[in-house]
Amino acid sequence: MGPDIVWYLAVATFLFCTGALGVLIRRSPLIVLLSLEIMLNGANLALIAFSRHYAQGDGQIFALTVMAVAASEVVVGLGLIVAIARKKLDLDVDKLSTLRG
Amino acid sequence: MIPAAWTCLLSPLAAALLITLAGTRISRRGAAYLATASVFVSFVAAVVSFAGLLGDSPKQRYHASTLWSWLTAGQLDFGLRIVVDPLSIFMMLVVSGVGMLIVAYSIGYMEGDDEERRYFAYMALFVFSMLLLVQAGNLLILLVGWGLVGLSSYLLIGFWHERPAAIAAAKKAFVMNAIGDATMALALFMLIQRTGSLNFEDVFAQTDQLGGSWAVNLIALGLLGGAVAKSAQLPLHTWLPDAMEGPTPVSALIHAATMVTAGVYLIVRTAPLFEQAPRVLELAAGLGAITLVMAGLIALVQTDIKRVIAYSTMSQIGYMFMAVGLGAFANGEFHLLTHAFFKALLFMAAGLVIHALAGEQDIRKMGGLRRLMPFTFVAFVVGTLSLTGIPPFSGFFSKDSILAAALDHGWYGQLLWIAGMAGTFLTGLYASRLFFIVFWGEPSPFVREHLMASSHAHAREGHASHNGHETHEHAGEGPFSMTATVGLLTVLAAIGGFLQFAEVWTPVSDWLAQVAPPLVEATGVQEAISSVLAVLLGLAGLGIGWSIYGARTSEAPRVAWLQTLLERKFYFDELYDAAFYRPSVWVAHALGRWIERPLVFGSVRELSEGLRELGLGTGRLQTGLVRTYALAIAASLAVVTVVFVAVR
Amino acid sequence: MANVLVWAVWVVAAFACLGSGIAVISFTNPFYSALSLIGNLASLAVLYLLLSAEFVAAAQVLVYAGAVMVMFLFVIAYLGGRADAPWAGGPSWQALAAVAASAALFVEVIVVIGLKSSSRLSHQGEIHVSYGRPDEIGRLFLTNHLLAFEITSIVLLIAAVGGVILGSHSREIGAPGAQQ
Repeated sequence: MGPDIVWYLAVATFLFCTGALGVLIRRSPLIVLLSLEIMLNGANLALIAFSRHYAQGDGQIFALTVMAVAASEVVVGLGLIVAIARKKLDLDVDKLSTLRG
Repeated sequence: MIPAAWTCLLSPLAAALLITLAGTRISRRGAAYLATASVFVSFVAAVVSFAGLLGDSPKQRYHASTLWSWLTAGQLDFGLRIVVDPLSIFMMLVVSGVGMLIVAYSIGYMEGDDEERRYFAYMALFVFSMLLLVQAGNLLILLVGWGLVGLSSYLLIGFWHERPAAIAAAKKAFVMNAIGDATMALALFMLIQRTGSLNFEDVFAQTDQLGGSWAVNLIALGLLGGAVAKSAQLPLHTWLPDAMEGPTPVSALIHAATMVTAGVYLIVRTAPLFEQAPRVLELAAGLGAITLVMAGLIALVQTDIKRVIAYSTMSQIGYMFMAVGLGAFANGEFHLLTHAFFKALLFMAAGLVIHALAGEQDIRKMGGLRRLMPFTFVAFVVGTLSLTGIPPFSGFFSKDSILAAALDHGWYGQLLWIAGMAGTFLTGLYASRLFFIVFWGEPSPFVREHLMASSHAHAREGHASHNGHETHEHAGEGPFSMTATVGLLTVLAAIGGFLQFAEVWTPVSDWLAQVAPPLVEATGVQEAISSVLAVLLGLAGLGIGWSIYGARTSEAPRVAWLQTLLERKFYFDELYDAAFYRPSVWVAHALGRWIERPLVFGSVRELSEGLRELGLGTGRLQTGLVRTYALAIAASLAVVTVVFVAVR
Repeated sequence: MANVLVWAVWVVAAFACLGSGIAVISFTNPFYSALSLIGNLASLAVLYLLLSAEFVAAAQVLVYAGAVMVMFLFVIAYLGGRADAPWAGGPSWQALAAVAASAALFVEVIVVIGLKSSSRLSHQGEIHVSYGRPDEIGRLFLTNHLLAFEITSIVLLIAAVGGVILGSHSREIGAPGAQQ
C-alpha cells in the first residue's frame, strides 16, 4: 500500500544531494548550516524508510539520535557564527581562511 | 718437557699483559726488568725442554701438546697446539737466547724514553709471537704467530710515532707482509681442501699423494710468497731498509735475528711439502741468490749505518734462502744461528755508536772512533770478520757449507754458487767500507764535538760499569746493560761457529736430520774448494775496502749511472709506486668521481630534494577554504561510490 | 481507494520536500531560506507519518521545526539579512564542480537503488501494532541502544556548555552608552 521504499529513498537521495550542493556553493555560513540540516534530514528519511522496510525500530532510534546531534551541532555552529559576527569579520567562508597553506 | 715448552711460550705473553695492565702503576725500570726477566725465564725453559729432548732417542723426538680445540668446523678440528721437536727447540733457543740479550740491551738503550713501558710490552709481545710461530704444532697456529710478529713489527717500527717517516715505514712493512700473509692463507686453504688437516704429521703423511701435481706447486708457491715477504727477499724486500726507523734493538731483534728468518724456518718446517715441488724450491734458491747480490751492491752506497747492516741482513738471508732452496736445510738453519749472533752483534754495536753520538746515524759524519770507543771497535771487528766469513769466526763455518752444497745441484746449483761467491766478495767490500769509515782515521769534527767536548771525556776501557743515567756527552761507551750484552754476543759470534764444521763435526745437521733431511750433500773436495775460494774472496773484499777507505791509498771508482742505480736501490720503490700505488689512487679517484659522487651522493640529494618538492606541492593543497575541502570530500565520495558498486 | 489517497498524499509531500529543499539553497535572503527549511521539515514529518513512524514525526516537528529552526531564526534576525548572491557573476569552476559532484552522486545512488529494487528491496516486512509508538521507542532506547542514549545526552550537554562559552565573553559590543 503506498509507494515502495524505493520512492522514499529517491526523495532522500535528492534531499541529500541538494544539501550537499548548497554546502558547496553558498558562501554565507548560515546558509551552509541550513544546507547541512537538509542533508541530515535526507539521511533521516532514508533511515526511517529502511526501518519500516525491515520492520525494526532501530532505524527510528538512529534517526532520533541524529536529530539530537544535529541540534547540538547547530548550537555550536550558530555560536561560532555569532562570535565571528561580533568580531566584525565578514561572514564569508572564503574569507575565513586563516588555515591557508 | 711439555710444561717447560708451554712456560717458554707463555712467559713473555704474561709479561706483556702485566705491563699493559699495570699501566703507569709500574715504573719504567720495572717494566724493563719484567720484560727481560720473562724472556730469561723463556730461555731457561727452552734449555730444559732441550735437555728433555736430548734424553729421547732420535726417532722419538716429536712431542705435540694441544691446549684446547681452538676451531672446529664440520670435520676440521684445529687445536691450540705446540710441538717440541729438534727444529722447534733449535729455533726456541735462538729466539729466546738472542732475544734475552737484546731485551737486556734495551734496558740501557731505551732508558729515559717517555714510553719505555710500551716498548717493553711490545718487545715481550714480539718474543711471544715469534715463539708461537716456531713452536706451532699446526699451520694455523703458525699463521697466527706469523700475523702477530707482523703486528709486533709494525708496532715497534712505528714506536716513535711522532715521526712521519717511522709511521710510513711501519705501514709499508705491514702492507708488504700482508701480501705474504694472503698468499700463505690461500696456500693453507688449498691444503685443507686437499688433506683435510693442518697438523704437520697429517699433512706430511699425505705429501706423496700430492706429489708433483699443480696443487702442491701452488701450495708451495703460496707458502714461499709468505716467506719472501717476511724475510724481505726479492720482490717483497723494499720494507726492510725503511724498517730501520725503529729503535736499534728492534732492528737487531726483529729485523736481523728472528722475524726475518721466519721465512727460512717456514720452508724448513714444511720441507716435505716443498720436496714435492722442486721447481718452487729452485725458485726460492734463485730469489735468494739474486737478492744476495743485489743487496750487497746497494749496501756499497748506503750512508746510514743501520741501512748498511739492513742490506747486509737482506743479503745474508738470501744465503739462507739459497741453502733451503737447494735442500740443505740444516745448513740454512746453522747459518740462521750464526747470523743471529753476528748480525745482532753488529746492530747492537752500531747502537752503541749511535747512543754515544746522540742519535747520529750518518756515517759520513763519523770517523776515528777506534781510539774513543775501543770496546765497540773490538765488537765490530769480530762482527765484520764473522759476516765476511773469515775463519775462525762463526760466519765462516755456516756460510761455506751453504756454498759447498750448491755445487751438488747440477748446472743451476753452479750458477747459484757463482752468485754466492760474488756475494762473499761484496760482503767483504761493504763490511770493510762501513768499518773503516766509522772507526778508522782521525776523529771527524762531529765526533770531536760529541765525544771529546767535556773535560772528563776520555775513552775509558770497555767494561766499566755505569749505573744510573749517563748522558751522551760524558764518555764511556754506554751503560752496563748495553756493554755486557754486546760483550756476550761478541764471544758468541767468535766461537759460535764451532758448533759444526763441514763433514767432520756435525751436531747441528744430526740434530735436525730427523726433521728435515738434506737433499744435497757436498763432497769433501767441493767443500774444500768452496771454503778456500770464499775466504780468499772475502779477504780480497776486505783488502780493497782497506785500501779505499782505510789507508786511503786508492780512490773508489765513480761510475755515475751505477752510483745512481744503486742509490735508488735499483728503482724498486719507484717501480712499485708506478705499478701499484698510482693505479690504485687513480682508480679510487675515478670511482669517487664517476660512481660515488653522482650515484651515491646524487641519489641521496635527489631523494631529499624530491621529498622537499613533494612537501611543497602538498602544502599547496591547504587552501584554507572550507568549500574546497568539502568539494574534495563530495567528489571523492562520488568516486568511491562508483568503485564500491563496481566492485560488488 | 486508500491506496490512491496514500499515493496522493505522498506525491504532495514529496514534491513539497524537494521544492523547499531547492528553495533553501537558492534564496539570497537567509530568512527565506530558513522559512523554506521549515516547510521542508513539515513535509518530511508527513512522510514519516506515511511510514508509520509517528513518534519520530512528532519529535521532528517539536524539536527540529520548533526548537532548532527557532534558534536559526533568532540568529538570522540578530545578524540581519546579509546576503550573498549565489548565482551572480557566472558559475565559477568551483560551482560547476560542485554541481557535477552532486549530480554524479545522485545518479549513482539512484542507479544502485534501481538495481537492487528487484531483489533486496522488494519485500516489505510486516509491522506489528506497537511499531513507531512512543513506548516502543522508549523500550528500544533503554534496552538495545542504551549506550547511544547516554552518549547522546552527553553530547547535548557538551553542546550546551559550548554554546555558553562561545556566547559568554565580549560585552564590548552593543551595550548602550558604552564608549569604545
